[in-house]
Amino acid sequence: MKRSAFAGAMILALSGVSSLAQTSQDLKAAGGTTGDVLVYGMGYSGQRFSPLTQINKENVSRLVPVWAYSLADLQGGEGFPLVKDGVIYVTTHNATVAVDALSGKQIWRVIHEYPPETLRVVCCGIVNRGAAIYEGMIIRALMDDRLVALDSATGKEIWTAKSPDPVTHANGYAMTGAPLIVDGVVIIGVAGAEYSHRGLVEGYDAKTGKHLWRLYTIPAEGEPGSETWEGDSHQTGGGSSWVTGTYDAELDLVYWGIGNPAPWNPRARKGDNLFTNSIFAIRPKTGERVWYYQATPQDPFDYDAVQTPVIATINVDGNPRKIVMQANRSGFLYVLDAKDGRLIAANAYGKVNWADGVDRETGRPLTTDVFKGALEGRTVTVWPSVSGVTNWQHMSFSPQTGMLYINTIHVGMTYQAPEPPKLAPGKPSGAGTVKRTTVTEDPNVRGFLKAVDPLTGKSKWETPYRSPNFSSTMVTASNLVFTGVMTGEFQALDADTGKILWSFQTPSGIVGQPITWERNGKQYVTVMSGIGGVYAQRAGDPNLENLPTGVSLWTFALFDK
Amino acid sequence: MHHLITFACGAGICLASASALLAQDNSSPEAQAKIEAGESVYNNNCENCHGDQLVNTGQTFDLRRLTAGDRARFDNSVRNGKNQMPPWKDVLSNEEIDQVWSYIRSKAYQK
Repeated sequence: MKRSAFAGAMILALSGVSSLAQTSQDLKAAGGTTGDVLVYGMGYSGQRFSPLTQINKENVSRLVPVWAYSLADLQGGEGFPLVKDGVIYVTTHNATVAVDALSGKQIWRVIHEYPPETLRVVCCGIVNRGAAIYEGMIIRALMDDRLVALDSATGKEIWTAKSPDPVTHANGYAMTGAPLIVDGVVIIGVAGAEYSHRGLVEGYDAKTGKHLWRLYTIPAEGEPGSETWEGDSHQTGGGSSWVTGTYDAELDLVYWGIGNPAPWNPRARKGDNLFTNSIFAIRPKTGERVWYYQATPQDPFDYDAVQTPVIATINVDGNPRKIVMQANRSGFLYVLDAKDGRLIAANAYGKVNWADGVDRETGRPLTTDVFKGALEGRTVTVWPSVSGVTNWQHMSFSPQTGMLYINTIHVGMTYQAPEPPKLAPGKPSGAGTVKRTTVTEDPNVRGFLKAVDPLTGKSKWETPYRSPNFSSTMVTASNLVFTGVMTGEFQALDADTGKILWSFQTPSGIVGQPITWERNGKQYVTVMSGIGGVYAQRAGDPNLENLPTGVSLWTFALFDK
Repeated sequence: MHHLITFACGAGICLASASALLAQDNSSPEAQAKIEAGESVYNNNCENCHGDQLVNTGQTFDLRRLTAGDRARFDNSVRNGKNQMPPWKDVLSNEEIDQVWSYIRSKAYQK
């Protein structure tokens, strides 16, 4: 680990900042604060909604860059920026930086080293999606299954913790996601269902880095759920947990999405393959799984359910109800009761042909002959492709409009599962285990940004894009939706119509997560630019060949005359 | 399929061009099987960064640019690593690297 010499000069200047602790109470209130952005997803609910209205439909055309900062990285810029007391903290796969929010000047920068072999088990982007802030510390995960806590004022390491055995890259584990800190517990998941691991979510003490608990997503031999795996296939069953969850303080539940079974090829793991492709409700202090909902049993298509479950209270049959919403990779938009996981609604929000719908009583998908054919080893044409209707990119929810704003993928595939491979921990179990080709309806419309009603899955509007957006969305109380485009445009759309109101060309493609914040009475919008991540690296989209690379951080505000 | 071997003939001696002789003949069932095996190895280990069907956004090397004469350079990079790419010599066998080469050459710009 190296720190820049510049950091030392800034320590004194910022020593006052570090004394302002971010307590658990601060984090619980984060959704309503506008000066700071303290929690991944702009608050524990993951709504990515801001009450700020200074930038609105009438003046958004005057939005201009205030500064840009180079992360000196050619990998994907997927990180969620945190803002605290005028300082922005962002991460890449090998760096953590603190930048003055108003000037864009670097305060400190820490480079993280990891063994190059780690990248053998990073299937889906050499990235990091963000850090968490807690009591003067910036806490993040590293590729090689470590957590590190840095002093927010100086970047100096306070503690580091290695995930206990068997979590190593040799066994198929990597960490790319952002931690979620709840009541002093750092909660983190793992990537690696493409490398025959046994997935897990775990908790660490935020003050010391001490390992507190581990919740495996795949049952051990003899545990409930192990009977849903053929033979000993559960031992390499996948079930990763690579996208950050959400938290409801009233119910004291963390909601976390669980990934696909391994291998992708389903022919040697007959059964439901619990608890892959599920949404978990977890007690943050203990790691107890309070309830689960499995979306896609015996999945052949890599339909992880890792998409962040977004918490809201909406009217269901005329009554307010606290729910979690997940725009699942499978193409179905799930609405579950936040307390017990009961299914309230599940409707397609994109093109789906592997199931006709979801049974309201059992919660199981009503699978079609396409699904059956895939299990039997026949060649079938499937919608959506392994990329899903969404992937990891986060949707936003506006309590004002009641709509979800979702960047969707409109791509199908031919699919055939040949004889399945014999697996061992750490061995590849993803794309090479099946045969696929890409299918499109229109090769120049591979994605839409949609405004979707959570209870029906129907769109109010759909704005087409040549390639799908892998940027997250963010919505404001002035009914503006912000998102980025793979070819670099950072855009603001009318949340009521989907019309693109403003667009700015950044230097590389955007796969980042926009946020907005205010300081000294002025509203700012911040996002990372820098092509990379799963779709850019893997999907073979000819519309995205040979794009400029390089991660940079951009902040925008209204132009002052 | 590569049958574009050109001949320079003079004084009763014909010379096939060196580059054409290095070109890969994919017509036999054995060659096709090798390409398919290489595709599987590629999809398991290489596609993550180099892209489906070798198409990527430019973050990593476009493997379709490799020509027949680049084999030694390819072997060295795969075995020992290059830039962000880790070394693969402890993971992939010589046979698997050879299969991946066949797959890449089957999709090369310059056959």
